[in-house]
Amino acid sequence: MNPELLRNLWLEAQPLRLALIAGLLLLVFAATSAANGLVPSGGVALALYWFFAVLWGTRSAALAVVGEIRERTWDGQKLSAIGPWQMMWGKLLGATSANWFGAVLCLVVIVASAWRESGPANALSFGAILAAQGLFAQAVALLSSLMLIRRQSGNWRLDTFLCQVAGVGAAFAYYSLWSSVDAFLRSGAETVNWWGHDFNLSAFHFVSLLLFLGWALVGCYRAMRAELRFANGPWVWLAWLLYLCVYDAGFAPEIEGRLAVLSAMPPASVKLALAGLALLGSAYGMAFLEPKDPVRLRWLAEQAQAGNLFTAFLALDAWMLSYGATFVVGLLLAAMWVAGNPALALAVLAMLGFLTRDIAIFVLMRGLAGARGDFGALAVLGALYLLAPVILSGLGFRALDFLFLPTPQAADLALLAGWVQGIGAAIWAVRSIRRAFTGR
Amino acid sequence: MIEVRGLVFEYPGQRALQGVSLTVARGAITALVGPNGAGKTTLLRCMAALETPYAGSVTIDGLDTREAPRAIHERLGYLPDFFGLYDALSVRRCLFYAARAHGIGRGQATGAAEAAAAKVGLSDRMEQAAGALSRGLRQRLAIAQAIVHQPAVLLLDEPAAGLDPQARRDLSRLLLALKAEGMTLVVSSHILAELEDYSDRMVIVDHGRIVGGETIALKGAARLRIVLAAAREGLGEFLAAQGTTVLEADRARALVTLPGGLEARAALLAALVRADFPVSDFTEDANALEDVYFARVLGREGAAP
Repeated sequence: MNPELLRNLWLEAQPLRLALIAGLLLLVFAATSAANGLVPSGGVALALYWFFAVLWGTRSAALAVVGEIRERTWDGQKLSAIGPWQMMWGKLLGATSANWFGAVLCLVVIVASAWRESGPANALSFGAILAAQGLFAQAVALLSSLMLIRRQSGNWRLDTFLCQVAGVGAAFAYYSLWSSVDAFLRSGAETVNWWGHDFNLSAFHFVSLLLFLGWALVGCYRAMRAELRFANGPWVWLAWLLYLCVYDAGFAPEIEGRLAVLSAMPPASVKLALAGLALLGSAYGMAFLEPKDPVRLRWLAEQAQAGNLFTAFLALDAWMLSYGATFVVGLLLAAMWVAGNPALALAVLAMLGFLTRDIAIFVLMRGLAGARGDFGALAVLGALYLLAPVILSGLGFRALDFLFLPTPQAADLALLAGWVQGIGAAIWAVRSIRRAFTGR
Repeated sequence: MIEVRGLVFEYPGQRALQGVSLTVARGAITALVGPNGAGKTTLLRCMAALETPYAGSVTIDGLDTREAPRAIHERLGYLPDFFGLYDALSVRRCLFYAARAHGIGRGQATGAAEAAAAKVGLSDRMEQAAGALSRGLRQRLAIAQAIVHQPAVLLLDEPAAGLDPQARRDLSRLLLALKAEGMTLVVSSHILAELEDYSDRMVIVDHGRIVGGETIALKGAARLRIVLAAAREGLGEFLAAQGTTVLEADRARALVTLPGGLEARAALLAALVRADFPVSDFTEDANALEDVYFARVLGREGAAP
């Protein structure tokens, strides 16, 4: 057996703990059965399943690595001969073994209840969806924890909470579809248009869930590789960005049908805009999550200056790749819109300037305040995008929105403002990194 | 066995290692000493392939830590200064897991765990929970976990910290026993007095550099303190020319290491007298290690008069 899984089972799936979980569930099901005329309640089992697999399961998954660092055992694990694949599964399934024990007991009741009400096919499908959702939430929590530990914040409680929020959020993205057997049956009757084809809504999202689960597992594997000192190239991250673009762009026909303003634009540009939005989210997300280590940035700059461009490219962080991809897609989009809608094209270019400023703020704040700087950067961005426009509006200077937003109404001024701020913040960030090493 | 060449490691705003070069001989115990924050732990972590250096290289048994970190982990054991154990697991399970985690097959893992426990004297506590062990016994268990796969190299960061005198003596014996089995050990420590019990060489690290740029032999060489009745130029140069390693020297006194036995000492004394150095004191200095350390790290005012 995988030694990491075995060790986790020793620690997490202790007989007393399992007996307590089984006893508690037995009592709850007995109570609800009595209230419902000797029929166990699928609704109560569903709520308990969410508790065990998602709410508590994400905490267990997040603590799988964060807990090792807290207990000072992570160095020993990194020095072991356990490969990243084994380590990932050992932690993902082992750290959550007690959660899965309770979750599987709940699943049995849920499937039995659905079987009676909707037949075996629906019951088994619903059970499979719930199991995939639970695993997805836990994989996202583990992945988030592997990202967050690189920031070395030293605040394991906050890190665990953030990972839990990420995992729970991932699972709840599908909540409205599959919050109950009835919701599951209703979604089976609806369709979604993706790349011009109609798909059964429930089946489409189940396949999507499995694909995103697959990517989350790939992410866990690669993050574990990095922790175990294996070098990760940029290709898998670029493949993920491509997948994200294709997936998002496929919803263009669905969105065009709902927003009349989009139907006037070239269809290809709407797809590209959706892809660009996905990349934009990825750039901001990774700029927050990744460490932006000044030593590493300096090393990359030195490699580039020495002409080792391919070496530098192979070592780029995910936020850099996402930023670069967003930039390329933004330029393409501006080129597509410049003839038909020049204001929108300028707004896209302005947005790239504001993005450059925001990324520089993340780098700058990280250099100034370490891991806490990422939260500081979020606060600064919140002030720039939310507070400042509200204050200006309140003072009657709404026309000055272009200073803080890539607004199409004053796109040329926004372009100027965005890039002045972007270049200024970038120069400030570079100087602060240089000062950290030279004292000048 | 371990070659460190031009190693540079940086934290933001601080260069922790500033071009360290060092050779650790196979089958020897090398002590890393230096004040807190000198760079000892960073150096050990770079050797253990747990940190990636900014520049320079570390090779262990010909393997570069950048290129083959996992291959190095297979032949290396490491005990951090602040280590953790799985407190809820028994000693047997801790060691069984460590053996399996280091790639030892299921069939051999039990034997490897028992052998490691025997080496550190924990055979009679196999069923005890790790969390119930005393500080000294936890240290032994951590070392047993680090050596369960019989690594060629063992790195120990401040292993004696927090141990009582008996536990320290046991630790010295254990390190010598591991050396006798052919293991190469690098030990960082603050406790200079005990280094001589088990270390072959000493390396002083300060401000991310090897002080004096060399290792100091502790075994197989006598440390001699030479005092002149009247100051004279050229004492250090003369002693160096006689095959000694000059640890410190001025016009009136010197501290050197001299390989060889009593004949070598007699020959050195005769050479000094022949060269008209007015030798007033020529003694082996058992406490000289601290003097060397303070002289090199703190400057002359820290050294013994």
